[in-house]
Amino acid sequence: MNKQPNESRRSFLKNSTALAALTLAPSAIIKAAENDDKIASLFEKLPLQMEINGVPYKLTVEPRVTLLDLLREQLGLTGTKKGCDHGQCGACTVHIDGKRINSCLSLAVMNNGKKITTIEGLANGDNLHPMQEAFIKHDGFQCGYCTPGQIMSAVACIKEGHANSKEEIREFMSGNICRCGAYPNIVDAITEVKKGGQSL
Amino acid sequence: MINFDYIKAVSAKAAIETRAKNPASQFIAGGTNMVDLMKKGVTAPELLIDITALPLRQITANANGISIGALALNSDVAEDQSVKTKFPLLAQALNAGASAQLRNMATVGGNIMQRTRCTYFYDTEMPCNKRAAGTGCGALEGYNRMHAIFGASNTCIAVHPSDMCVVLAALDATINIIGSKAERKIAFADFHRLPGDAPGLDNNLQPGELIESITIPNNNFNQSHYLKIRDRASFAFALISVAVALEVKDNIIKSARLAMGGVAHKPWRLTTTENFLTGKSISEKLFADAAVLSLQDAKTYQHNSFKIKLGKAAIIEALTIATK
Amino acid sequence: MEKDFFTESYFVDDRVDGADKVTGKATYSAEHKLDNMAYAVFVCSTIAKGSIENMIVSKAKNAPGVLDIIYYLNCPDVPGYNPYAKDPNKKGYEWRGLKVFADNLVYSNGQPIAMVIAETLEKATYAASLVKATYKEEKFDADFEKLKHDESKLKRMNEYKRGDADVYKTADIFVEGEYTLPYETHNPMEMHATIAVWDGDDKLTVYDKTQGPKSTQGALAANFNLDQKNVRVITEYVGGAFGAALRSWPNVPAACIAAKKLKRPVKLVLTREQMFTMVGYRPYAWQKIGIGATKDGKLTGITHHAVSNTSKYEDFGEGIVNASQFMYTCPNVNTSYKLLPLDVNTPTWMRGPGPATGCIALESALDELSYKLNIDPIELRLINHTDINPVNKLPWSSKFLKECYQLGKEKIGWQNRPMVPGSLKEDGMLVGYGMGVGVFGAGRGQASVKGILKDDGTLLLQSAVSDMGPGTSTAMVKIGAELMGISQNKVDFELGDSDLPPGPTQGGSGSTSAVGAAITAVCDAIKNNLKELTIAHAPAFKDIKVEGIEYENGELFIKENKSQKIHFVDLLKQADKPLIEIIKDSGRATAEASKYAMNSFSAHFIKLHVNPVTGVIKIKHIVSTADAGKIIAYNPARSQMVGGAVGGVGMALTEETLIDPRYGRYINANFADYHVPVHADIPEIDVLFADKPDLIINPMGSKGIGEIAIIGVAPAIINAVYNATGKRITELPITPDKLI
Repeated sequence: MNKQPNESRRSFLKNSTALAALTLAPSAIIKAAENDDKIASLFEKLPLQMEINGVPYKLTVEPRVTLLDLLREQLGLTGTKKGCDHGQCGACTVHIDGKRINSCLSLAVMNNGKKITTIEGLANGDNLHPMQEAFIKHDGFQCGYCTPGQIMSAVACIKEGHANSKEEIREFMSGNICRCGAYPNIVDAITEVKKGGQSL
Repeated sequence: MINFDYIKAVSAKAAIETRAKNPASQFIAGGTNMVDLMKKGVTAPELLIDITALPLRQITANANGISIGALALNSDVAEDQSVKTKFPLLAQALNAGASAQLRNMATVGGNIMQRTRCTYFYDTEMPCNKRAAGTGCGALEGYNRMHAIFGASNTCIAVHPSDMCVVLAALDATINIIGSKAERKIAFADFHRLPGDAPGLDNNLQPGELIESITIPNNNFNQSHYLKIRDRASFAFALISVAVALEVKDNIIKSARLAMGGVAHKPWRLTTTENFLTGKSISEKLFADAAVLSLQDAKTYQHNSFKIKLGKAAIIEALTIATK
Repeated sequence: MEKDFFTESYFVDDRVDGADKVTGKATYSAEHKLDNMAYAVFVCSTIAKGSIENMIVSKAKNAPGVLDIIYYLNCPDVPGYNPYAKDPNKKGYEWRGLKVFADNLVYSNGQPIAMVIAETLEKATYAASLVKATYKEEKFDADFEKLKHDESKLKRMNEYKRGDADVYKTADIFVEGEYTLPYETHNPMEMHATIAVWDGDDKLTVYDKTQGPKSTQGALAANFNLDQKNVRVITEYVGGAFGAALRSWPNVPAACIAAKKLKRPVKLVLTREQMFTMVGYRPYAWQKIGIGATKDGKLTGITHHAVSNTSKYEDFGEGIVNASQFMYTCPNVNTSYKLLPLDVNTPTWMRGPGPATGCIALESALDELSYKLNIDPIELRLINHTDINPVNKLPWSSKFLKECYQLGKEKIGWQNRPMVPGSLKEDGMLVGYGMGVGVFGAGRGQASVKGILKDDGTLLLQSAVSDMGPGTSTAMVKIGAELMGISQNKVDFELGDSDLPPGPTQGGSGSTSAVGAAITAVCDAIKNNLKELTIAHAPAFKDIKVEGIEYENGELFIKENKSQKIHFVDLLKQADKPLIEIIKDSGRATAEASKYAMNSFSAHFIKLHVNPVTGVIKIKHIVSTADAGKIIAYNPARSQMVGGAVGGVGMALTEETLIDPRYGRYINANFADYHVPVHADIPEIDVLFADKPDLIINPMGSKGIGEIAIIGVAPAIINAVYNATGKRITELPITPDKLI
C-alpha cells in the first residue's frame, strides 16, 4: 500500500464534513488515514441504502461512484450497460422510483432510499416481462448490448403514455441508440405491447 | 473525478451557507450536466451540495401566471396540465430537448444553469477562455459550425444549448433568486450574459445564490410554435431553434414574441422583429421580411455562415406553422 | 445437395440467445468477474506528432489505490515489439499496429501513452487524469482536404484499365463529379474491453471484444512468445463491432502487459472517446468519377479515381473503386486508388469496406446520368446489366439483381417517382425517390466445427467464431436442426472460445457460408457414422449396405423397406455409445467454383420528404432488397438488412467524425456530437430477399448479407434528395445546412 504522504487525500480530509462528527483532532486522523486505507475509506465513503429489484442493499460508496458503476462493478448487476458514460446513448437506462433515467449520470449516493429497477428485475422469475417477450418476437436487437436500456426505456415509454403512435414512440425512444439499427423492430415490439394493454 | 465530498442540504439556507463557505463547492440536483462536466474534468468541485431535498419542486398556476420550482423536473413541467394548456410552447421546447431519460433527471434550475456544449470548452486540452481564462478561443478559427452568430466576442463564440430557455426568454419569464443576504428577481432575458471580456461567466447569478423558481406571466398568445433544426431528427442540440408566440386576431398580429436558440451565448430575443410584426396582417411576405430583419445583424464565422439562411428559413417556417 | 434448404418454419426463428439478451444475462467481455481484479485506464497523448520528453507520474502514483503506472520507460519487454531480438538477421513476429508503450513516440493525438492500474475504476480514472506528459512536438499532417492532391504525400496503391482511359469524356452524354466521404467511426454500443489473466508466465487467458477469437489468440501468442495452446481468448458476447474488432487495438496487449506485471487480473475498458482515438474508422475518401454513355444509355466509359487516408505508421487501403470495374457492362474502364498517410490513428474495415464508399460515387453518377439521358435509373441499370463479370470474364455463380430491382420497385411505389426533380409535393413537402445498388464478394472461407450427437437426442456444435449480432448462433442451430431433422431446441451452438475448433474471423459477410458448410460436413459424417452403427447394432439392418440406409427426421431406415427403422437415440443406446463426436472443416468450394465470379447483391429504394423551406430531410420509407443466396435464418437476416439500411442513413445524413486539423485532435468523439441515427430518424423498413440458393458457393446455397445491407443505401438517399430538390449533394453527410 501507499505509504507516501498523500496530497489529495490530505486536502480531501481537511475539507471533509465527516470530520465534524468525530472527536479526534483532524490532524491525527489525517495522519492515520494517510497510512491506512481502511481508515481512509471511512472518510472516503458514505453510507447508502437502497432497494434494487426488490432486494434491500446497505452499502458504503465513494461519492464519485455513479449508479451505473455501482451496479456493474460492485454489485455484479451487469445487465445495465455502459455505452458512452455521458448520458448520450441510453444503454444504462434504469428505473428510479419508476422513472427511467441514465444511471451513468446519477451519483449513487444521491439515490439513498430510492427503489431501483434494472433489467435483471423486470422478469417475474422465469416468466419474461411482456416487453422482453415482444423484443424476442420482433427481433428487437442484434448484438444485444443496447437491449436492456431499450427495454427499460420502452416499458417507461408506455407507462408515461408516450406510445400512442409509431411516430410518438420513435420520438420518445430517441434517447436509446441502437448501432445495429434494430429501431423498426423495437418500435414494432413496443406497439404490440402497448396494444396488448398488459399491466407493466 | 476526484473523490469529492458530498452533503445533502436540508434547507435552502444551509445550502447557501455551505456553498458560501466552500469556494470549491457546487450545487448538484439532476446532475446531468454537472456529472458530465466532472467526468470530463471541465469542473472539479471538492464538495457537492445536493439540493434535491429542498422543497422547490412545485408547479403552481395562479391568476397571474405560473410559478415553477427550480427543482421541478423537465419532464414534470412538460407533462403538467396547466403548462400544457396555458404555455404549450414551453412543453414543446422541453420535449425538444435532450432525451426522455435526461428530462426525468434534469431540473428547471439545472436547465437554466447548463453550460455550453462547445467542443473546445469540453476538451480540457483545447484552448477555451470560458473554461480557462486567457487560453484563447479554440472555436474562433476552429470548427465553429455550431457557434454563435449574435452577440459573440473575440474571446468566446459559444452558444447556450437550452431549448427551454429560448421559450422562457420569449415568454418574459422572471427568475426568482435566493441568496445569503436577500431575495431578488431577474428578468429572464437579463439572466444569461453575453461573453464580452468575461466568457467564464455564463449568467448573472452571484456565488452563493440559488435559483428558487421561475414565474411566467399569463399571456394572450393564441398561436405558437417551437421549431428546432438539428443534425438528426431527435436527441441533438439545435443548429437553430425558433420560439414563436403570437396573439392573432382576424389575421392581424396583435402582439408577438420571438426568440432564437443556437445563435448566441444566451437565448436570443428578437424584439425588433416583434415590434415589426405587431399590428401587421399575416402574409408570406411579412414572414419573409421578418426573417430578413431578424438576421440582419448576424456575424458568421468560417463554418457557420449557413446559419443566416437557415435562421431565416427557420423563422419563416416557425411563423408559418404557428399561424396555420 | 439438391433439395432446397429449409422448407419449414422459415419465418419463425427467434434468436437462440434472445432470452439472455433481453434479461441482461448475456455476458460481454468487460462483465466477467474475476477475483482480485484491478482496473486499468489509459492516459492519452495531447499532441499529434512528436516524442514524449517527460512523463510526470508522481501525483498519480500518490493517489489512493494506485497499483502501478506503466509507460514507455517501465514497460516490460514484449517479444512482438522486438522482432529482431532473437536473430538480428531474421525478422520474427512483429505486433501489427501501434506498439503501445514501446517507445516515447507519438503518432496521433489521443494515442495511449501510459496506463494507470488501480484498485477500482474510479481510483484508476482519477489517477490517470493526474498523469501529464511534456513533449517535443513535430510538424504534422492532419488535413485531408489540404493534402488530398499533393502527389509528394500520396502513395499509389493500384491502377486498372480495360479498353481505353477516360473514354467517358468523348461520349454522347457524360457526367463527371467529385465525392467526399468524411471519417466515420464504427461506434458499436459496447466499448472495446479486455480482461487479461495470467497463470504463471506462460499461460494467458483473455476476455476480449473480438470478431475473431482465433486471430486474437494467434496474435497474442506470437506477441508474448507463448505456445498458442496456452493462450485462451473468450468472447462470449460481442456488443456490435461492424469491423472495429477485426483486429486487436492497444487495449489488448496493454491489458496483458499490466496483468503480467502485477500478477493479477486486469480489466481495461476503453472510453467512448478512446473508441475514436485508438480503434479504427472508415477512412476519409475523396473520389472523382466520370461516366459516359450513348444516347440510348449504353455505357461507353467509366473513370473512377479515389484517395483515402491511412496513418503514418500503417497502410490501410480498401477496394473503393473496384465495383466500378465490374458492376456494369462497359468496354472502357480505368480506375486508380491512392493512399494519403496522415498523422492520425490507422483506419480499418468498417461495414461494407470499399464499395460502401465507392458505390456512393458510382451509383450517384449513374443516377445523374439517367436524368441527362432521360432514362429511368432502374432501366439504365438494366440496359447495362451483365451476368458475366467484365474483369475476370467469369459468369456469376448466381445473380438475381434484376429480381431485386423488380421487388423493390413495386414495394416502394416507384411509379410515383417524378421524372422532373422537385416537381412532386405531398403535405407541403418535396417528395423524392431514389435507388442505389450494392455488391460485395461472396465465397466460402475456412472453418472447423465439432459436432457431438448425444443419446439424449441433442446435437452440440462448436466452433471458435464470434457473433457480434448477425445471429450466427441462430443460423447455425437452424442448419444443424434442419440437417439432423431434429427440433431447434435440441441443438446448441457453442462459440466465442479459442479452445473450440478453429472458426473464421467474423467479417466480410462470410460466417454463415464457412461455418454452415462445416456443419453440413459434420452432419453428413455423423449420419454416415450412424448408418454404420445401425448395420453393426440393429439386427434388422445387419445385411444392408450403408447406401441402402436413409436418414430422415432422426430416424434411420432401409430404403427398400421403410417399415424397418430406428431412431438415432435408440440406436446410440443400443450400441451403448453415449455420443458421436466428429470434427470437420468447411472444405473448399467445388472445383466448379473456380469457373465463377461470386458476389452478393443488393438494391435499396428510398422515399423521402424534404422541407422546401428549411431543407430538413425526413425519410418516409426504405425498401432494401438483396440477392444473398438462400436465406438461412429469416429474422436475423432481415434484421441485418434493416440495420444496414440504418447504417446507410447514418452515412448519408448524419455521421461525420471531425478532426481539428490545427491540432490533429478529434473534436466530436462522443455520442452527442457524432450523430448516429436515432429512432426518430428511421421509418418503416421493408426487406425483400430474392432468396435463391447458390449451391456453387456452399451446400446451403447462402451468400453473405452484412455488407450489402449497407452498400448502396447512402447513394439511394443522395439520389432521392436529388429527385426531391434538384440538388446533388456530393459531400456527405447531407446535414440541413447543405440543402438550404
